[in-house]
Amino acid sequence: MSLKDIIAPFSVWKRALEKPYTNRKPIETRPGADRYRGFHQNAIDQCIGCGTCEEICQNNAIDLVPLEGKTSSHGDSGLRPKIDYGRCCWCALCVDICPTGSLGMSNEYIWITTDPEDFRFIPGGETKPWDDRAEGYRRAEGYDLLEAERVEMPMLSFEESQKSFIEMVQGYSKEQAMEEADRCVACGICIATCPAHMDVPAYIEAIRNDDMGEGLKIVYNANPLPASCGRVCSHACEYVCAMKHKGEAISIRWLKRYIIDQIYLGDYKEILKSADESNGKKIAVIGSGPGGLSAAYYLRLLGYEITVFDANEKAGGMLRYGIPEYRLPYEQVEKDVEYIRQLGVTINQDLKIGVDRDFKTLYDEYDAIFFSTGLKDPYGLEIAGEDLPGVQSGLDILDEVTKGKTPDIGKSVVVVGGGNVAMDAARTSRRYGAEVTILYRRREVDMPADEEEIHESQGEGCKLVTQAIPLRVEKGDSTRLKLFFGMAEMVDQGEGQRPKPVLIEGSEEVIECDTVITAIGQEADYSFIPEEIGKNLVFNRGMVQINEFRQTGDSKIFAGGDIANRKRDAISAIADGHSAAKGIDIYLTNFKDK
Amino acid sequence: MTEFNELSRQFQVSDLVEQRADLHFITASKEHAVAVVSALKERYGYTHLVFFTVVDHLEKNEFHLTYMLHNYEKHHDMGVVVKIARENVQMESIHHLWPAAATYQQEMREMYGVEFPGSPGLYENFALEGWEDIPPMRRDFDTKEYSDKTYYPRPGRESHDPREYMKENLYPSEAETW
Repeated sequence: MSLKDIIAPFSVWKRALEKPYTNRKPIETRPGADRYRGFHQNAIDQCIGCGTCEEICQNNAIDLVPLEGKTSSHGDSGLRPKIDYGRCCWCALCVDICPTGSLGMSNEYIWITTDPEDFRFIPGGETKPWDDRAEGYRRAEGYDLLEAERVEMPMLSFEESQKSFIEMVQGYSKEQAMEEADRCVACGICIATCPAHMDVPAYIEAIRNDDMGEGLKIVYNANPLPASCGRVCSHACEYVCAMKHKGEAISIRWLKRYIIDQIYLGDYKEILKSADESNGKKIAVIGSGPGGLSAAYYLRLLGYEITVFDANEKAGGMLRYGIPEYRLPYEQVEKDVEYIRQLGVTINQDLKIGVDRDFKTLYDEYDAIFFSTGLKDPYGLEIAGEDLPGVQSGLDILDEVTKGKTPDIGKSVVVVGGGNVAMDAARTSRRYGAEVTILYRRREVDMPADEEEIHESQGEGCKLVTQAIPLRVEKGDSTRLKLFFGMAEMVDQGEGQRPKPVLIEGSEEVIECDTVITAIGQEADYSFIPEEIGKNLVFNRGMVQINEFRQTGDSKIFAGGDIANRKRDAISAIADGHSAAKGIDIYLTNFKDK
Repeated sequence: MTEFNELSRQFQVSDLVEQRADLHFITASKEHAVAVVSALKERYGYTHLVFFTVVDHLEKNEFHLTYMLHNYEKHHDMGVVVKIARENVQMESIHHLWPAAATYQQEMREMYGVEFPGSPGLYENFALEGWEDIPPMRRDFDTKEYSDKTYYPRPGRESHDPREYMKENLYPSEAETW
């Protein structure tokens, strides 16, 4: 035994009175690093329930579930992600891809509970201690799984575009279309907002797969006028696109157009559904606008014999007579119409119901009637001097141009109105060399015209004067007319109401011009409906009342389009036509024979 | 770079990349890699094995092994990249140069299936116990399929497709007629 062995036990005693070296109690938790990937956080109001997180999750750890207090609305599915932490591997792909940027991660990684079910919850929907923590994982700057910007559309410059009626938007090439299609996360949020509920993600996928036939089939399932819609649709879908939260919406409308542009009309027949054998029942369709043509198409597919009656020389309604060629070339309207005609739909042109043919005769001869006659009569300005030569409606100008006439507008034009008709009339006038001023009574943000129409009209040199109320028109000295207008202030009308423009006293101004074009709205003309039938129909503020099957008060008569639908755009009319076709089919197969 | 020039006279090395002034990468052939690493350690002062790792380049059908070495005197890092085919992937061990390398190699065998014959404890469990599937870090390992097979859905789990859910809630009657 060595000396050290004998002394060692005593040397320990020298520490007897020191503070013991042990762990601190209570044990302090160590916070995770700033960018640690702990339990998720979700800004529940920012999230739109698109399900992209669920889609990308490699472990199937995310479910989309309804959350109390959240309802489905346009642009929000009402669902929210619920995460199963038994499966989550904290890879954070869900955070990286989230188009709205609502999903993030806290740096909380220590959480103890005795119930394993607690590890399945809706982040943000069920309160957790880490909800407000600023630390944690967020998508890194400059790194993105999704492309925020859309593929630029080749367009004519404003300088070029205002010289002619050549189509401004030139269309995507295959590479551009595929690149743009690649940006779609296929959430399907847009489907609910599209009035025709087109299966947008499905046809975008067809573009990704370069399968145009499949794309055409999907498009025609809900929309038999896609060449036109691919150009002038009001694209409600794009306003709710999940990608819009991140940057720019997918250019859904132009991708649809791309599909149609790739296929010759002659090849449609081989790709699309053929019509059922004739079932012997006859339907009359009045008006060959989008509503009428859509009803005719779907009814023809079901085997009905369809006759369309239209007062104009050519079919297409407002698509042809209301939209200038630089936005929608006539041959594109013709492509849509021609296919419907090829299916065996008879279209009678230049035939006005109520004049050339009696409504009552149609009512007796046909098994059902669908009418979608649109809003043809422009509203007047209701001001003095309105009947002076040189005051014209926007619709008349557009109609004249469609018929190949040169409108007599002179050198300077004032357009009154802020809708698409106003923009179209203004831009058309520009193309005939006039100086154009647009007067609108509210603010630019209130304008009902599409954003791009407003932008393009200004780009082409139309001057926009907002908050301007026309007062009277007088004969001009050097020009044909003088338009007096006053400035308006916007008066708040309380929550949920549009602010009202109120004239500021003494703010009168005058503008000299050759033509005043009025484009402040249109109304329907129902004079072709005889009284004995008309008394069964219900009208509400100028619109025909219809049920969900687009059936009017007279069970044999169905209606749709602008006369029955406040949305007043082509795609809503098309949706009406489709619903009416189903309604007529149900009516004739289930009720008529009994 | 002197080391590179000298090494390239003796071994199959290529692709000198200067990532930063104090960080270079070179690519070595599979046959010469261990000799290159050995030379860097013994001759050029790269005595510290910072890490040893592998990346699965599925598209190229290759694994890229990287030996990251540090020279304390020059404060310089040198990465030696070795590209090897994905099938029956085997690499010479470097545990004789750095005993700690055995641990890296053990992990790489378990996670990627890269074999290092002779490396100590190569077949002992590293993180996975009783793993029978293909190595989980290989890119062709289907995480979702594995999760579905192993962690079957919990009872009561249900998910909704946004488009169907919105259809039920926002336009149910139209859905019937469509």
